[in-house]
Amino acid sequence: MIYQTGALGEDGIHLDMNHLKSGEVNLGTSIMAINFRDGVILGADSRTTTGAYIANRVTDKLTQVHDTIWCCRSGSAADTQAVADIVQYHLGMYGITNDEAPTTQTAAALFQELCYENKDMLSAGIIIAGWDHRHGGQVYSIPLGGSLHKQAYAIGGSGSTYIYGYCDANWKEDMSEADGIKFVKGALQEAIKWDGSSGGVIRMVVLTKSGAVRHLYLPDRNYEGPGTEKP
Amino acid sequence: MASLFNAQSMLDQPSYSFAQPTSHSEPRQHSFYPYTDNGGSTLGISGQDFAILAGDTRSTSGYNINTRYAPKLFKIGGDGPNNTGSKIVLSVVGFAADGRALKERLDTVVKMYKYQHGKDISVGACAQRLSHILYSKRFFPYYVTAILGGIDEEGKGALYSYDPVGSYEREQCRAAGAASSLIMPFLDNQVNLKNQYDASQPQGFGKEPLKPQPLSRPHVESLVNDAFTSAVERHIEVGDGLQMMIITKDGIEETYAPLKKD
Amino acid sequence: MPGFDFSNHNRNIALHAKGVPLPKATSTGTTIVGALYDGGVVIAADTRATSGPIVADKNCEKLHYISPQIWCAGAGTAADTEFTTAIISSNLELHSLSTGRKPRVVTVMTMLKQHLFRYQGHIGAYLVVAGCDPTGAHLFTVHAHGSTDKLPYVTMGSGSLAAMSVFETQWKPNLSRDDAVKLCADAIEAGIWNDLGSGSNVDVCVITPEKTTLLRNFKTPNTREKKQRDYKFKRGTTAVLNEKVITKEQISKYVTVHDIGDGKAGVGEKMDVDTQPSAPS
Repeated sequence: MIYQTGALGEDGIHLDMNHLKSGEVNLGTSIMAINFRDGVILGADSRTTTGAYIANRVTDKLTQVHDTIWCCRSGSAADTQAVADIVQYHLGMYGITNDEAPTTQTAAALFQELCYENKDMLSAGIIIAGWDHRHGGQVYSIPLGGSLHKQAYAIGGSGSTYIYGYCDANWKEDMSEADGIKFVKGALQEAIKWDGSSGGVIRMVVLTKSGAVRHLYLPDRNYEGPGTEKP
Repeated sequence: MASLFNAQSMLDQPSYSFAQPTSHSEPRQHSFYPYTDNGGSTLGISGQDFAILAGDTRSTSGYNINTRYAPKLFKIGGDGPNNTGSKIVLSVVGFAADGRALKERLDTVVKMYKYQHGKDISVGACAQRLSHILYSKRFFPYYVTAILGGIDEEGKGALYSYDPVGSYEREQCRAAGAASSLIMPFLDNQVNLKNQYDASQPQGFGKEPLKPQPLSRPHVESLVNDAFTSAVERHIEVGDGLQMMIITKDGIEETYAPLKKD
Repeated sequence: MPGFDFSNHNRNIALHAKGVPLPKATSTGTTIVGALYDGGVVIAADTRATSGPIVADKNCEKLHYISPQIWCAGAGTAADTEFTTAIISSNLELHSLSTGRKPRVVTVMTMLKQHLFRYQGHIGAYLVVAGCDPTGAHLFTVHAHGSTDKLPYVTMGSGSLAAMSVFETQWKPNLSRDDAVKLCADAIEAGIWNDLGSGSNVDVCVITPEKTTLLRNFKTPNTREKKQRDYKFKRGTTAVLNEKVITKEQISKYVTVHDIGDGKAGVGEKMDVDTQPSAPS
């Protein structure tokens, strides 16, 4: 008798991507990252759910894997945290052994390796965004199967389905920082509004030559503040 | 084991450690299951000239408490909506909605009997009628275990217990519901004196078992109380309150005592 | 024959195919909580352990020791919470000895999440990790699949919704020690009353940078009441069909016999039984 453990279908090839182990903590999410004039901006909502219950309403889905390389996590909380922790470890080692910060491309390749080789065990949709001296700002997306896509901007998570139209209509190349924040915030507000699995606060990280800056926008202030100030 | 965040799962299955190999790609059949187990326990004991029925007042579903006061004891017959002057009590445990429906039907039948025949129904006849009502839904049963109590035509305490499809029997005592497996052995030992031998006789195979004696009303009441306070300690679905109905030739006395609420 | 013996595996597969269920594990359908406060952290738990609808233990301990200043509240499968916390506690002490530093709460959290992730949720341990280390007071939750959260107040277990409703209505920043203890105890009580998986007593643990205080049975709102009748049986009620006396001398041919407490009966071993307030005699 053989017990099926993964999510392989009857033919042993095709995958069921929508599986989650029972009781697993899910990041039914709205995440995105964009390029702008001086670098990249990452954005995310803050809701984590187990079924209908909100296990965490102020989750931080924007995870640092190196000084100016961050990622947005969607899918299983456990899987994405584990993957991010492994990548963070490798990038840390890379930075020390080569005496040079890794590029966003390197980080994205590491993420892809883990997500592709373990595709039967993971439910992780990750967006990687970073700034490095060689290429400036870059955005990469790794959807469920483990493919890697370099994009001008990337959206992900269950809430992203509601904002393809918004993003397509409002996207402009080489936006200013203020316009970039407005774009991300506007898109995530729509995603939160329409997607039941997304909600809470909007978190952002702005990555430029001068480093990483966190932003926070609260629903009780109509997502207008406090921005970079302490709440 | 993954039941922490899904209280329902307590109901669905005995918990296997092997994960069911579920493939989500195949079509899944959804079905409507019309029954819920609302937990709780009931018990009845008949005496020389009285019968006692008791039940806790907690109603549950899964790990949730629906209410801390939902009576499982119902007066049957008598006059008007309050069953004034009734001398029959029905207790139901299992699926509360079916319990209410069953009580409603039996009550109507008993009231119609008096209207048509000009006299109260006997407990024996009422008991048989209840059996017929239950069997009439043989293939879509009332999901309940019922106990019926009253005074028979000789003035003795009468107690009838049922299974969900109408098999019934007159008994001295019976426990039903969630904690029945905890309470019934206690009753066997204390009411029918099972596993107790005459202490005055010498040890050995010749020792005679104690013969059950008719119990006094205060004695039975204290046994019922102790049965429930013990069940509350070890069964999570039993608690909140203890409702008791004592049926004598003069009518029904009703009492309520609080139980632990955890 | 050298090597492992897999015959039990085949037997279990055969039994399972026949529809024989595996023995049910004791689950602590539980309420556990934690809250940070000014100058420390508090965790609390109820004390009921269940096996299906039956109460397996009325006064079990769900607050587990990790290190003197780091404690853990566990929900889920009782054995899993016990063994995972024990193994992490052990490894942490070795780690602390090898680094020569005081253990940190993040280290515990990381060790736990990596251990649990490796087992893909099959180890059913849901934990609240709390403690004080040189970097301050910390509070985390760790789920069985290996995900973690860092929050100022947390709840877990089947009573987590009842407990969280208390936190979400009563919690405020900068609590005092006593207020934090009260709030956590109230949250556990919400679980005790409103969740069938939780019950009996409240255990609390307060951790400050200076010291750890375990308040076992901080609240006991569910003491057993006195029975109305006396259930002592007359001597001779149980029929003795056969009697055989084995002397100490006969026994000592097979095992070593030690006399404890001058050979007086019932001195060596004392069983931990439920004590009843004023037991009837």
